[in-house]
Amino acid sequence: MKLVRSELLKIRTTNTWWIFALISLPLWALTLLINWLQADALTSNNMGELSAEQAAQFEAAASPDALSSNLFTTGQFFGLLIVMLLGIIVVTSEFFHQTVTTTFLTTPHRTAVMSAKLVAAGVLALLFWLVTTAFNLVAGSAVLNAVGVGSQLGNDAAWRAIGLNLLAYLLWAVFGVGIGVLIRSQIGATVTGILLYLGGSIGAIFVIAVLADRWGDWINNLQLLVPSLASSLMVTGADIPGNPPRWAGAAVLIGYAVVTGVVGTLLMRRRDIS
Amino acid sequence: MTDGQRSPTSDGQIVVSGLTKQYKNVRAVNNLSFTVAPGRVTGFLGPNGAGKTTTLRMLLNLVTPTAGTATISGQRYADLADPLRHVGAILEASSAHKGRTGINHLRVICAAAGLPRQRADEALELVGLTPAARRKFKGYSLGMKQRLGIAAAMLGDPRVLILDEPANGLDPEGIRWMRGFLKNLAHEGRTVLVSSHLLSEMQLLADDVVIIAAGQLVRQGPVEQVLGSMAQGAQVRVRTPQAEALTAALKAQSATVDTDENGVLLVGGVDAPTIGRAALAAGVELHELTTERPDLERVFLELTAGKAGIR
Repeated sequence: MKLVRSELLKIRTTNTWWIFALISLPLWALTLLINWLQADALTSNNMGELSAEQAAQFEAAASPDALSSNLFTTGQFFGLLIVMLLGIIVVTSEFFHQTVTTTFLTTPHRTAVMSAKLVAAGVLALLFWLVTTAFNLVAGSAVLNAVGVGSQLGNDAAWRAIGLNLLAYLLWAVFGVGIGVLIRSQIGATVTGILLYLGGSIGAIFVIAVLADRWGDWINNLQLLVPSLASSLMVTGADIPGNPPRWAGAAVLIGYAVVTGVVGTLLMRRRDIS
Repeated sequence: MTDGQRSPTSDGQIVVSGLTKQYKNVRAVNNLSFTVAPGRVTGFLGPNGAGKTTTLRMLLNLVTPTAGTATISGQRYADLADPLRHVGAILEASSAHKGRTGINHLRVICAAAGLPRQRADEALELVGLTPAARRKFKGYSLGMKQRLGIAAAMLGDPRVLILDEPANGLDPEGIRWMRGFLKNLAHEGRTVLVSSHLLSEMQLLADDVVIIAAGQLVRQGPVEQVLGSMAQGAQVRVRTPQAEALTAALKAQSATVDTDENGVLLVGGVDAPTIGRAALAAGVELHELTTERPDLERVFLELTAGKAGIR
């Protein structure tokens, strides 16, 4: 517990957290705008001619469940990126500023230090989720009212999505810590993390679409293995036809987080600090 | 956590035994054994690349030894219940987050070690850094960084102090301060182990020396004894207006006599009283008669000759 307090103090006593919070704000506003336009389009019913399958997907996406889930998790795409980067920095700044020596002198039990870092990154993720969700509940219900669906504040599916959104925030923070241990260079880890996240999503969507065209629809299920796609799948409000089930997305994410967290801790235990 | 309670076994002695570190292509430390006694300042000397830092890092559980053990008060560092209350270490000057203030740097350590917050203020006071407490680390001078490092090491009021090249980058005033500070700590009964390649500084500071080269022990013991073991190098400086007469008289006593560029005689093989008597007997006037003791630097260079450098 004292180690977690120390880790949180480390974060609090530098600029990092509020710089990241400041970056998050415009990104959140941007996604809110996009989600608003999307919700508006989905509820205005002028999509033209659709195939039967497209119509079914469309209907699922336009349901109040899906709409509210989407709006109440606004900012997730960039928010997850931000908490992952914070997780990376929790580890790499120790190497960047050579404070890791002091840290391990103070606490020779490295597993305890790594656990404290994982928890501290989780606490940060929780705070980011908390603030974002508070914003979303206000802005999201306003948008939902505006498109004529009602605020949906009592919608179970929406609250489930909000809860799963928290899970995603926590898991990405853990990934970040794992990446930070694997790549100790602050710049290297940050760039890798961003590429993995953004490039991974976009590239994977493209590759999977091409492969699915060639080999058949079952390939679509592979998007589950891409962490960022798995997490967005996890928070989708309703099971959308043609997509893998949501629990599978959660399972994949938890798997990744456990693997990076454990591998990172084991590596840190063995490593010579010089 | 009890404050200030020390078990009978916490005697503060450092014991390094058969310590070895094999990196891929180089044996940085090779079967090294030595002990460091409490209540004394021990200088840990060696040329650059001799394995000093690796040894200290193995002692502090930062680097895993290939073989051998290193204990402090009979325990491995990782097994100490409260490491910061037992051992304070300074391994590199620039080891704080650049954007964090000095006081916050210490508070972070206090939090992790379970030490009360006000220890941070007390430690800053101890090293005279209180006026810069709320300044960020990146604005610190090298001397201030060193002092912050010492403050961090003193947070737990440790029994044992381990410092790696603490004089690096300090100005003469800072070095003088550091010397007094460390001597004082040893005087209080603490163990002080200081690595350095600044030999003149060590001669002023250390009671004992451990000299290593190429990862191996070269000599260990009290400074006087290590210097004494090389006493055959001792020379006597003699200044006289009658150099020729004295030279003849001394050569008769089978002394060796050299003359330096200023006409000063450098006499070897006999001691100063012998030279004085010879001068008196020969009726030679003396202006100076000084025994030149070998300094640590010369001893060190002789002991480590050919073993220094890149391996």
